[in-house]
Amino acid sequence: MARRALFYVGLVLLLLAVLFPLYWVVVTSFKTTRDAFAIPPVWLFSPTLDNYRTVFANRVFLSAFANSFIVSILSSALAVAVGSVAAYGLAQQPADLRRAREKFILSLRIAPALLFVIPMYYLATRIGALNKHWLLIAAYAFVNVPFAISLLITFFDDIPKELRDAARVDGAREFRVFWHVYLPAACGGIVATLILCVLFTWNEFFVALVLTGRDTQTLPVSITSFLTFQGIQWGALTAAATLIMLPMIVLGILVQGQVVRGMTLGSVKG
Amino acid sequence: MRSIAAASDPTKHFFQPIIVCLTVASVALTLFVIWISLHDLSLMRAGREKFVGLDNYIRFLGDPRAMAALWRTVLFTTLATVIEIALGLAVVLFLDRDFVMKRLVRTLLLVPIIMTPVVVGLTWRFLFDPATGMANYVLSLVGIAQVDWLGSPQIALFSVLIADIWQWTPFVILLVMAALESAPTDPLNAARVDGAREWQVTWYVLLPMLRRALAIVALIRAIDSIKAFDLFYIMTRGGPALSTETLNYYGYIVAFTNFDISYALAIAIILTLFTNVALLTMYSVLFPKTGNR
Repeated sequence: MARRALFYVGLVLLLLAVLFPLYWVVVTSFKTTRDAFAIPPVWLFSPTLDNYRTVFANRVFLSAFANSFIVSILSSALAVAVGSVAAYGLAQQPADLRRAREKFILSLRIAPALLFVIPMYYLATRIGALNKHWLLIAAYAFVNVPFAISLLITFFDDIPKELRDAARVDGAREFRVFWHVYLPAACGGIVATLILCVLFTWNEFFVALVLTGRDTQTLPVSITSFLTFQGIQWGALTAAATLIMLPMIVLGILVQGQVVRGMTLGSVKG
Repeated sequence: MRSIAAASDPTKHFFQPIIVCLTVASVALTLFVIWISLHDLSLMRAGREKFVGLDNYIRFLGDPRAMAALWRTVLFTTLATVIEIALGLAVVLFLDRDFVMKRLVRTLLLVPIIMTPVVVGLTWRFLFDPATGMANYVLSLVGIAQVDWLGSPQIALFSVLIADIWQWTPFVILLVMAALESAPTDPLNAARVDGAREWQVTWYVLLPMLRRALAIVALIRAIDSIKAFDLFYIMTRGGPALSTETLNYYGYIVAFTNFDISYALAIAIILTLFTNVALLTMYSVLFPKTGNR
């Protein structure tokens, strides 16, 4: 009995450590400036939406929201569309050929983003594309395609081979098999891949920091503008932070079984 | 006959164009990057580049700031990987039993992983605020003197490390947990029947079964820690007094503050080579050829 109690004490401490920082940011976003900086901290207070009003009155932040939305949806959709076609082909190949591809894809992951961001930045300044949405969409699609391929292969592998063979015997061409058999059968996996791409793109900071201009700033870049030299506006900052992360936490929980699988490129099925 | 069948295999057309595109893009990019790193190219004076050979690489070897950054990267990566694996494994073993809200706990553990890294950095910067932050308040409750978490050159790197550990230990936990659940329970029970103590079962039976999962997660964490950028940019910007500047961050500064893109790419190439060597070493230690996988 004592062991059991001890276990639950440990569990509560673990969850406290995991969730307290998040809780504190979200709670602070509903506090007045006075409450936010009170020491000792105020645990009970009358909530205010002032911080959110400040954020929504900020045009830069609103356009960053739109930019993040457009860029992450379009680049992910592009990556998944291209990736699912390639993954279908690769899923039918013998194991040794696929392993070579997987190594290639892993090596793309090892290379630091700096390596491809600098030449892209250089070329973009030359052709004046630095403030264009398509540059960012192309960059993220390039990053997401290898990821989408390797994840989608694991979903296509889950589809029984008999389904394909049966359709082939009935005289279906490869594309028909892909379109009418594989896509519907792997629908859940494709949606999960799309969501994971959106999640990574939305959260991505480094590429966006370098390749965005005034009109294309995404949310993670835009939020750093609250870190001014005059001091940090923690109230508005925590409200903005909450708005940025909340949609991703909802999406992530929707596909929770696939997140770990996605982050290990399918080498572990979560 | 087989070769003819293989040549006309229509499934090849599904992936070959894309693989060719990716390969061409990577090769072109690599060549371009190497070309730039062998020249003296600065954004400040575009169009006046000249060939300088290996000068940028030689400059790296004699650059104390770069060497310090490289050492800091090694330190940060080693500490982050080791602590996250050890802590994660401890939590997995601790949670390895049936309890009521196990599914809920797994869902909650997911939250730090999918949280926007920039927001994670802001959150910890907020908690580490010297005057009004929660971290110092908690310390004052137990009577420990205030710590200047992000303002002290001796401490700042470890403060960023804490944020990194907070965000990524749950990832280790979830991955190892999944491996543990798909592992067979028979060997464990057999060992118990043979009279092994519980710690012996864990050490000699359970851990070897988790070996592959632990190795994979260690490799992933090492790769990502070497490239860590977001937390450093948000929490410390490499400061104070360059005490948290990693090699990746230094490369960014060289490229986009000094606009010396040739030297920055030389740094990026060295970082990539260094990562590859480190990972190959790690791989051969974690997956010895003679060992059973």
